[in-house]
Amino acid sequence: MSLRSSIRTLPLAVRVPAMVVILMVAVSGLISERVLDRLSTTQEIYLQRLASAYLDGVVASITPSVLREDSWEVFDGIERLKPSADDILPLETVVTGKNAIVLASSDPEARETLRPLDSSFAGQFNGTGVTIDPETRSGYVRRDITYQDQLIGAVYAVFDVSSLLRERQQILVTLLATNGLFTAFLGFVGFVAVRGMIRPMQVLETHMVEAAAGSPTPIADSEFPSTDNEAASVYRAYNALVRSGAEKQALARQLAEEEKLASLGRLASGMAHEINNPLGGLMNAVDTLRLHGDRRTVRESSIELIQRGLQGIREVVEAALAIYRPDRLARPLAEQDFADIRLLVRPELRRKRQRLDYRLEGRLETDPRWPAGPIRQAMLNLLLNAAAATPEDGRVGLCVTVTPQGLDISVSDEGAGMPQSARSILTDPKNREVPPDSGGLGLWIVREIADDLEASISLSSEPGSRSVIRLSIPRNTSEISNAA
Amino acid sequence: MKGLPTLDVAGRKWSRRAALRLAGAGALCAGGGRLARAQPQEVIRFGLTPVFLTNDLELLNALQAYLATETGYEIELITRRTYQEVTALLVSGQLDAAWICGYPFVHYRDQLELVAVPDWNGKPLYQSYLIVSSERQATSLDDLAGDIHAFSDPDSNSGYLVTRTLLFERGLDPDVFFRKTMFTYGHRNVIRAVASGLAQSGSVDGYVWEVMREIEPDLVNRTRPLRKSEWLGFPPVATSKALAHSRRIDALTRALLSMAQSQEGQRVLGMLRLTGFENADPSIFDGIATKVAMLRGVL
Repeated sequence: MSLRSSIRTLPLAVRVPAMVVILMVAVSGLISERVLDRLSTTQEIYLQRLASAYLDGVVASITPSVLREDSWEVFDGIERLKPSADDILPLETVVTGKNAIVLASSDPEARETLRPLDSSFAGQFNGTGVTIDPETRSGYVRRDITYQDQLIGAVYAVFDVSSLLRERQQILVTLLATNGLFTAFLGFVGFVAVRGMIRPMQVLETHMVEAAAGSPTPIADSEFPSTDNEAASVYRAYNALVRSGAEKQALARQLAEEEKLASLGRLASGMAHEINNPLGGLMNAVDTLRLHGDRRTVRESSIELIQRGLQGIREVVEAALAIYRPDRLARPLAEQDFADIRLLVRPELRRKRQRLDYRLEGRLETDPRWPAGPIRQAMLNLLLNAAAATPEDGRVGLCVTVTPQGLDISVSDEGAGMPQSARSILTDPKNREVPPDSGGLGLWIVREIADDLEASISLSSEPGSRSVIRLSIPRNTSEISNAA
Repeated sequence: MKGLPTLDVAGRKWSRRAALRLAGAGALCAGGGRLARAQPQEVIRFGLTPVFLTNDLELLNALQAYLATETGYEIELITRRTYQEVTALLVSGQLDAAWICGYPFVHYRDQLELVAVPDWNGKPLYQSYLIVSSERQATSLDDLAGDIHAFSDPDSNSGYLVTRTLLFERGLDPDVFFRKTMFTYGHRNVIRAVASGLAQSGSVDGYVWEVMREIEPDLVNRTRPLRKSEWLGFPPVATSKALAHSRRIDALTRALLSMAQSQEGQRVLGMLRLTGFENADPSIFDGIATKVAMLRGVL
């Protein structure tokens, strides 16, 4: 990740104060540089004046002695004129006569009397101005001694400029400390201000993330700003959106429930028929028992018949109950569930004189524990939808395949192809809306179940030809779910 | 000895300024001298040379106060930078008396008369020191060849004549033997010049060197005597022959000779580290006279 993109990922509450701090550092750096530059100039002017005053005094005092080359008088003059009250004191003063011979020095042991002046020492003096050397913490200044327009000698003075450099250092430290504190303060203020400003956005972001995760909650009154500002307005709008979403979801649930009841209603007539069929046989068996119950063989065969009939009725009733109350089916999917589904759709198929081609490939194992309720609901909805699409005397297919990746449930019809609206409900990732009318509600429920199981839905359907809807449920799907 | 360190410090800081003031006072005195001639018995004009340790105001004030009290005369102290100036004033009668060096006294022996000679450690004698830097390895005069040498004054016995004679005795010319010679016009200045390294050797009054070692040990201990001369007559207080035995010179003589007897006089002697003054025989300056005679025609 590049630096720029790293910076962009930083929260605004950090970025804005950081920008303020960077700006302040730049401004304070510029100001400090100007102040120090100005101070440096002022100090050099001050030192120049001080040095000039000192050198003027020395030159005026010792010129006659230089003329006479009287080393003692020159030395005595240097000693007498050495200031003691100033901060900036001459460290060393050397007076040379003609030919740069040292007449006297404030430190005769370092600059021997009546010897040529050390050229490296003389080299530290440039022109007539003060040269400051921060390394030796000294200022160097030189003045020629002239008499009747004749050059008769020179004075070299070295000043201790520690106090000036110390002053510079102190001012630099003061500037840095002041600017640092000021910058830190502004950075803090910026942080607090920006955080206050973006706080509503953060609250909104938190709630929206929750909403995206599927559990939208309205923003509580306690989180509302004390004043009725833009944030409050946005919060209200968001809460209205959440309420609207919740209402829509409630409506969808209600519709799903109604659809479930409706499909159950449709099944009910078929189920009644399923129940009625064995009932005729049961009644006959009862009559037979009443008339010939004393005969053992008749009795046993009749009871056997009654038991099979009642068993069939119980299966039908249990299958219906399982659809109506999926929560009672909080158990893993088993092969019995496919038998139940076939039983449930049989009346509808029979009504339309259709046939179901059922095929199970592979074996359902106890692991993974795919939830039976939602899968039954999805299969039922798909089969009823296929039956509705398939013309009379047609064929409806249910193919269940257990693969290493998971479970594939394919439902095929012989209809005229799936309309675009229905395809959209099943597969369009942008279309999460509840269908505007009851049309397609069954498919919408299938989609909800598929999402809940992290399953994928694929379609092979061309307009005007048979359609195959395949529900691929991965092995690592969530545990028992009550999606439906 | 009370108050001596203060005297010392003040002496270092104010010696030049004090000298200027005193020079001004001397000028006023010269103006007042014309009036004094109308009433000559009222004032004693007393000259001082750089044989003095310093031109310290406290010492001058104490000396002036003591002499005024003891003599009953008004005392005017007159200082000059060189021996020559003071000697000239004395010989010409512009001073009643002056504390001069033995060398000018010998030189003007026929015009001057002794008033009193100070006693140092009980004797009217002192030595001339040849000094070098305390760290220097030199052991004899020969080691000083090629030096920059500091003399005190061309009219000083200890600060010039002794070393000059020493070289003469060995057939040496100071301007050849030494790389350079300089006159500092003060024994303290000779010590300063050698201590600082401005000069590598110097000729100085032994009394001044010894006393200053107590007063300014930091300065003086940077030097050491390489050679000490024989004992010679201490710089005397002298007057012109014309004024000798006048009332005020007699009064001055009494005041000086009795200095050790009074508390005020003791204070002055304490400052000067002297034991008193005595009426010494002029023969104590024979040693100096011999040197002067030796150099006659050379200087």
